[in-house]
Amino acid sequence: MTRVINNDYFIALECKDLQATAMSVDSTGQFALLAGRRSIALRNLDEEYENLFKFSRTSKYDVGTAEWNPTSQNKDLCAITTNERLEVLNFREDSLSVSHSIRAHTRALSGINWHKFEPNILATCSVDTYVNIWDLRDTRKPTVSLANVAESCQVRWNKVSPHIFASAHDGDIKVWDQRKCNYPLQYVSAHLSKIYGLDWSPHAEQQIASASEDHTVRFFDTSNPRKPDMILTTGSPVWRARYTPFGNGMITVVVPQLRRGGENGLLLWNISNPTTPMHTFVGHRDVVLEFQWRPMRVGDPTLQLVTWSKDQTLLIWKIEPFLQKLCGHEPDDYSLYDDNSSMGNQDEASSTVSSKKTLKNQPLQQEFSLLNVQIPNLEVKTMDSLARTVTATCKLNNYVVNMQVTFPKSYPHGIPPVFHIMPGSNISDSMSAQLMQTLTYLAQQRVSKNRTCLEPCLRQMVTTLEQLSSDVGKDRSFERLYVEPPLSGCNDAYIPFPRTSGAKFCSVNSIVCFGRPILPRRSGGKSDSGTPRAFSALEVILAKKSTDQMTVSAYYFQKQKQRSRSKHAALSKTSKAVIHIYDATNLFLINRQLAEEYILDGDFGTICKHNAAAAAVVGRRDLVQAWTIVELTLTQQQNNEDLWPTHPCGNNLITSLIKHYASQGDLQMSAMLCCIFSKHQANSIKKASLKSILSPVSGGSPYHTIPPADVVADGWVLPILKSTRSTSLDNLKIDEIASPLPLPPKLPFVALYEYYKVAYAETLHRWGLLYNRAEVLLSNSY
Amino acid sequence: MVSIIGSVDTGHDDMIHDAELDYYGLRLATCSSDNSVKVYDIKNGASTLLDDLKGHVGPVWQIAWSHPKFGNLLASCSYDRRVIIWKETNRKWAKYYEYAKHDSSVNSIQFAPAELGLILACGSSDGSISILTYTPETNIWDAKKIQNAHAIGCNSVSWAPATTPLFNGNENEQQPLIKRLVSGGCDNLVKIWLEEGDQWKEETKLELHSDWVRDVAWAPSVGIHRHTIASGSQDRRVVIWTSNDCINWNSTIMHLFDDVIWNVSWSLNGNILAVSGGDNKISLWSQNTEGAWESISDVSKGQGHINN
Repeated sequence: MTRVINNDYFIALECKDLQATAMSVDSTGQFALLAGRRSIALRNLDEEYENLFKFSRTSKYDVGTAEWNPTSQNKDLCAITTNERLEVLNFREDSLSVSHSIRAHTRALSGINWHKFEPNILATCSVDTYVNIWDLRDTRKPTVSLANVAESCQVRWNKVSPHIFASAHDGDIKVWDQRKCNYPLQYVSAHLSKIYGLDWSPHAEQQIASASEDHTVRFFDTSNPRKPDMILTTGSPVWRARYTPFGNGMITVVVPQLRRGGENGLLLWNISNPTTPMHTFVGHRDVVLEFQWRPMRVGDPTLQLVTWSKDQTLLIWKIEPFLQKLCGHEPDDYSLYDDNSSMGNQDEASSTVSSKKTLKNQPLQQEFSLLNVQIPNLEVKTMDSLARTVTATCKLNNYVVNMQVTFPKSYPHGIPPVFHIMPGSNISDSMSAQLMQTLTYLAQQRVSKNRTCLEPCLRQMVTTLEQLSSDVGKDRSFERLYVEPPLSGCNDAYIPFPRTSGAKFCSVNSIVCFGRPILPRRSGGKSDSGTPRAFSALEVILAKKSTDQMTVSAYYFQKQKQRSRSKHAALSKTSKAVIHIYDATNLFLINRQLAEEYILDGDFGTICKHNAAAAAVVGRRDLVQAWTIVELTLTQQQNNEDLWPTHPCGNNLITSLIKHYASQGDLQMSAMLCCIFSKHQANSIKKASLKSILSPVSGGSPYHTIPPADVVADGWVLPILKSTRSTSLDNLKIDEIASPLPLPPKLPFVALYEYYKVAYAETLHRWGLLYNRAEVLLSNSY
Repeated sequence: MVSIIGSVDTGHDDMIHDAELDYYGLRLATCSSDNSVKVYDIKNGASTLLDDLKGHVGPVWQIAWSHPKFGNLLASCSYDRRVIIWKETNRKWAKYYEYAKHDSSVNSIQFAPAELGLILACGSSDGSISILTYTPETNIWDAKKIQNAHAIGCNSVSWAPATTPLFNGNENEQQPLIKRLVSGGCDNLVKIWLEEGDQWKEETKLELHSDWVRDVAWAPSVGIHRHTIASGSQDRRVVIWTSNDCINWNSTIMHLFDDVIWNVSWSLNGNILAVSGGDNKISLWSQNTEGAWESISDVSKGQGHINN
């Protein structure tokens, strides 16, 4: 018997010889019935350990479907179908008897469904095209028998209205009223391909969903069924689609015969987001044959999904609050659970009554059932949820510790369990004192946050004993890390799986890359299941293989290690941790050689000529042209000051060049142009102001052909002037003269240009070109 | 397109989880499952081990270099729930500050833009984000915590540039410095946080991913003139989020990859995105002239090699 547990699910049963084809969970949520050709087994889900009642069965035929009676009155009854017969089994006081055996149809039955509220009524359907309704009080003939044209594969009672039911025939759905069965209430042409499954909404009387071979699930309003309200498209034919008891979710499973690839096709959807599934349940190694929600138990708010797969395992999935949230449900709102907590297999009263008896020890039981007993060097001897005790034995380095843990009633709400070292242990008093101290401390820490603490404490016990018994100063190998004391409390299920490859842009133009070494053959574990989400996956996967190798590299290289230990050792030494640094200069327009060559000192003609030549050397012809244009513009302006600034080929040309290079991502060129431009602006302002000082009447200068306001239209130098006004007498004058001038209507991009310069200066800084950097930053203080 | 400058055999005993060059591109820091952080001097393709930093007792997930004006600080975060900031003296690093107020693994750290001062953001599996701010006058690290930033856990944090020039009509105005960061978590959400007064507030919540968000990266704003964020997820998608005002965000699914995405990283000019994930492959992406995202290096796998 293996019991592997992770945080997604736990294996309730793994039984190869069962060959069960049908599964059903009873209305109390206590028993799961598994039925096959040779045997019928009942698993008590409340017990932590496999607790199985097995009854042999002699039949030539497999069991088609099984379903427990959902009412409290007949909760002991379970109906199964086998070929053309309907059998009703009675499970009472641990024994199973056949209470009814009816030849219900002339050909094989394809579906059964108990009435949701009437304890003795059930409907059957068959490939003989009939849909029959049976009353167990008189089983000689059906109370209602409906003939159809096409074979019928599903029949489902409405979950809200007691008289309504639906049946599926090929691609069509018929909705019936039990009281007037002459003709269907509605006839829905739902799909063009065969329908495999039907499910009524748990809340809305008129809502029905159909799963079909055509890869879709369609949602219909039976009062207006012309068009589906919504279509959910999956990648493969859908066998069953059932509403979730919470939120707005839906679970789908692929047709067993048609599963593809590694996925076993159990998907969770949010109906309002039909494009992508919210979650894939990964855990079964083969197709899922049947799934059912475990009816909610009072006092236990965890939602559980029970699934039976062809791999002959029965898994119980805990539906995490975040999954419920993804389906539009706030998990704190328990009221929603009460009325629709099963897939139509239960009524409210019965669940309340029947689960009361398990209410008291439920949280503890839950914790026991989720305990991973695969802890190295530790053996869990007993787990008794009634006496609320656990005993475990830890054997390590010739030391033996028998530990008894007793859980007080109010555990885990602030009250820690009591630890007791039992006779048969052989550790010294000082060791046991230390062990007790550590355990009590850890337990106290956990329960103070209302968290359970059994598993962390058991793990802690092993590691503490390990530490106490091992020599001081002995090397700690990294393999041991994940069970090390301060860390074991971490909830690994929510810690992301470590990344083992990555690329980072660094500094100016480097890319730093690291990855896993490529080994001749890929690890089996990896290709099977894809990259896991959480760190806890390591533990689960590796727990199966070995006990002490819980590292990421072990995850990827486990197989190789087993195959050729020596070869891998050599490999791991050399290639496990290599970093590659790439030069990505060619991806960017910014160029270090240019950065070194470019000048900003001198008159505009010289600067531009020099820079154009530099650009030519590195092969940037576009920059040569740009520099030449700038040179022409600026030198023309010097000769022809008054006209040029507003000329389309004047300042406007330069600003649009700056904008162009900035949008191209050529920070270097745009910043350089900004520098040149601001230098030019500063010059022209100086000149303009000089003139206005000289001219007798401001604005009416004979030297001006345009008003002075336009000369300083490029008023973006104003802030700069202000910032330097206290430093120079000259600037002070300019400012005084400039300030009475009307502010130009639209200021060019001062802050933006400063931003480019600062950003470029930063790059120069990273390159260590400090002189050039200073030059760029200074270019605005003319 | 890209050429290899050098390979460094770090000699880590286990897998590497992060590697970063410092501001000048002269020093390489790496961190690994073997609990150590190593610093190398990189010159002309040759590398020399400067220091092997031991202080964490769990795998070290991420490292970050500070701006040199704060001294050569290196931050590291680990499964052991701690963040350690290391300071260099004479090419050796010593523990400078340790932050241990997270209840679970610390998955991501990043230094804020240098203009904002010496600030470090840390995202943890306990669901919270810590903002550590150093005040030079008092020599005190102050910690602010955004509790419950992501239900279940925070996987990644990234700072916005301190200023973002926008072509929105007031280009001439000096933009005020803004403290803003983006985070991604196990609740499949990308969230944007803004400091208002001395409080961190959730500004926007970006929903699109259908599984855990593993990495987020806010693009440098040079040259692109709008806010851009990349997010990579367990759902194998990389999504590019853009906005002009940080209020209305547009999303573009950049690509659906073959395996889960672990890592997204922007180039300094914000034009190229490096993506890597569970399949051990690295690819570079940029926008073509029509604005569609294209892979610009078709990329091989293995040992972090990039093919041209």
